[in-house]
Amino acid sequence: MNITPNEAEEALAAIQQIEQKTRHAIASSGSYITLIVTGIVWLIGFVCTQFLPEISPYIWIGLSIFGSVLGAIWGFRIGSRVRSPANTAMAKRAGLFWLFLVFYCVATIAVVQPTDGKQITVLVILFALIGHLSLGLLLSFSAVWWPLPITGLVLVSYFLLPDLFYLWMGVLGGGGMIALGLYIRYKW
Amino acid sequence: MADLNEIIHQPVRLRIMAALVTLKDGDEVDFTYLRDLLDVTDGNLGAHLRKLEEAEYITVNKVFVERKPRTYVSATAEGRQVFREHVAALEAILKSK
Repeated sequence: MNITPNEAEEALAAIQQIEQKTRHAIASSGSYITLIVTGIVWLIGFVCTQFLPEISPYIWIGLSIFGSVLGAIWGFRIGSRVRSPANTAMAKRAGLFWLFLVFYCVATIAVVQPTDGKQITVLVILFALIGHLSLGLLLSFSAVWWPLPITGLVLVSYFLLPDLFYLWMGVLGGGGMIALGLYIRYKW
Repeated sequence: MADLNEIIHQPVRLRIMAALVTLKDGDEVDFTYLRDLLDVTDGNLGAHLRKLEEAEYITVNKVFVERKPRTYVSATAEGRQVFREHVAALEAILKSK
């Protein structure tokens, strides 16, 4: 079989393109689900906390259950696209990691004894972002970057906009995550 | 110098193999996911997969997930080796330019 150098170049370019596309598709599939589900929970939860503070604890309980169930179902469907023996073992470790992180977060809140709801909220969010960042570093570098700007947003709104903290977190934090998730899903 | 592989060199099969060898050893990809990734039709993908399976470059695994039939595809060790040799042959042709 004989081909010209130009045909060889085209074939190599096609290989490179599809390899890159495959890596991208696999790496981004988990990120966009996490972003969209977390974004929906933040948007509804924080906006309700800002305007309906008396019923917000019940809304957060409902949203947490909704987020966990939706994330698990969606994650299972996406995860079944690529079956990997290594990923099954990693999923168990990741589950244990989140369980321990929740324990350490509760322990930290118990020791620090925050004076108001905003401090508890910020601590919980920071622990969750540490979790995403740590797992991102271990699993794929492409999943690392998004918790960093969200952390910046949390700290800016906590220190500079305390009166609008919940609204800011809901609209910019939650809305931003949904937009980013949709961007990764359809344009990246 | 390694020879070009006629089975793999066909454009769709080349892209199928490129996608499959990008996965980790032992990983399997769902048929519909592969179809969307390569932007081909079911029939087209199925025909090329059969050709690659006959050559023993890939394995096709049919299973039930949540009571629905799913088809998973993965590259065999031989398929990975042949693909590497094909890429080496393409690079050699390019260098001789």
